[in-house]
Order: sequence, then structure tokens, then C-alpha cells
Amino acid sequence: MADFLTAHAPTLTHWLVLTSALFAIGLYGMLTRRNAVGVLMSLELCLNAAAVNFVLFNRYLAPTAQGGAERLDGAVMTIFVIAVAAAEVVVGMAIFVAMYAERRTVDVTRLDALKD
Amino acid sequence: MLASAIPTLVFYLLAAISLTLAWSVVTGRRILRAAVSLMGVLAASAGLYLLLDSPFLAGVQVLVYVGGIVVLLVFAVMLTRTTELLEDHPTRARQIVGGAVATGFFLLSYNMMTADAFVGRTLSPLPKNDVAAIGRALLDTGENGYALPFEVVSLLLLAAMIGGIVIARKPAVAAKPEAFHG
Repeated sequence: MADFLTAHAPTLTHWLVLTSALFAIGLYGMLTRRNAVGVLMSLELCLNAAAVNFVLFNRYLAPTAQGGAERLDGAVMTIFVIAVAAAEVVVGMAIFVAMYAERRTVDVTRLDALKD
Repeated sequence: MLASAIPTLVFYLLAAISLTLAWSVVTGRRILRAAVSLMGVLAASAGLYLLLDSPFLAGVQVLVYVGGIVVLLVFAVMLTRTTELLEDHPTRARQIVGGAVATGFFLLSYNMMTADAFVGRTLSPLPKNDVAAIGRALLDTGENGYALPFEVVSLLLLAAMIGGIVIARKPAVAAKPEAFHG
């Protein structure tokens, strides 16, 4: 058992398959959800998968700069992604609450004000 | 031997948990339950950061994502609770379009990630004190520093906060004329 696990340690490709699958699931949710909050949740899945990817690429592909100094750009980018996600959820929630007060629904298939 | 087997086991465990919960986030009919599943996915991602030797990012993930963003999403669900509590199943056409786009994206990226540049890479050791290194990078005004994006993000958060208040508050009630005469 332990031998098998040691021989099958995850490589970069395994990690990337995991994060891409998470991103693809989020993409599916964004296109199929009807509740606007559900769409926002699917978007969070995508953002989270991308944030993990930044750390992955930092650790596996670009650990050091040209001069040999260690780089942490991936980690810094992940922090920025998390901060932007927080800002986005705040604005999204405000829009949904205002939309609900105005139209009594957050169903994205029924929000067609721009079509009229 | 055992020490190298455990991270592998943890990786596949976390992968299975996050994929299962992510699927229930996008297909669950109860939106509040989807929010709880999302919390699980994000907590599993914190575990993935730990596997990548980034405990600071795991902490940030739990603090901001699990503790902040998911709570905000739960608030959004509760404040916009409509008479139809259950989400309808998506129509067949939306399922097909969504499935096609998601599968297409996955196949495209799978094609790229099996490229030679990505095969056979191993984890590299991190700097000893990576929290201090991240802090220095965020405040570095030099060539590879992130001082300007850091300040821009602080402005973005301020703008999001003010924008959230302005958008969500009730429209101001028109002041009565006699109020001005005091």
C-alpha cells in the first residue's frame, strides 16, 4: 500500500488535472445556474481553482529568478486573487439585494430589462 | 517510506472531496446547501495549499474565503430568498451548452498540460521564511516588487465597500419641505 502510494505521488500534471476539473465544474455551474447567487458561487469555484494554479506554477515551474533568488510571485498573485474575489462578492451581493428589492427575483433567466 | 506515502494519500483524498463537493455546488437544488458545499471545497483548497508548503496561504484562504466570502454568500442567499426556494433543474439546452463548454475547456487545457514543459517537474524548496518574503515582495517598490498593485488592491477594496453600501441601501426618502425651514 505504502509502496504503491509512493510510486504514484502526484506530479504537476495530476495537480493541473485537478484544478482544471474544478474550473470546468465552475464553468458548467455559471452556464446552468438560474439563481444569481448560484452563478456567483460557481464563479468562486473558478477563481479558487485559478488561485491554486498560481501557487502550483510558482512551485513547479518558476521557483527562482534569473539571478538564483527565490521568487514568490505565485503566492503574491494568489493573495491578490483572494482580495479581488472578496471585493467582487461584496459588489455582487449588493447588486442582488438591490435587484431583489426592485424585482422580487434573482433568476438570471428573467432579468431581461435590457432587451425591452 | 510512509512519510512520502501520506502526502499522496492526502492529495487524492482532498481531490476526491473537492470534486464531489464542487459538483454538488453547481447541481444542488438547495442553494443554501450549495453554499455549505462551497465552504467544503474552499477548505479542501486550504488543505491543498498546505500540501504545497504554503501554510500562510492556507490561513488566508480559511480567513478570507471560508470565513468571509462564504458568509457573505449565505447572507446574499438569505436576503434574496424568493418564494421558489428550490432551484429548478436547468433546461436541457442549458445543460448541453454548459456541458459542452466545460468539457471543451477541460479537453483543451488537458491537451496543453501534457506538454513536455510540464512533465517530470518536481517540487522546489521554498525560502525558509516565506511569510516574510511575501511581505517584502508586497512592499517592494523595485523592479520585481508589488507595491503599486498592493496599493491598487487597497483602493479596489475601498471602492467595493463604498459601492456595496451605495447600491444596496434603500433609495433616500424625499425630505419634507418644512424640514428645511426648521
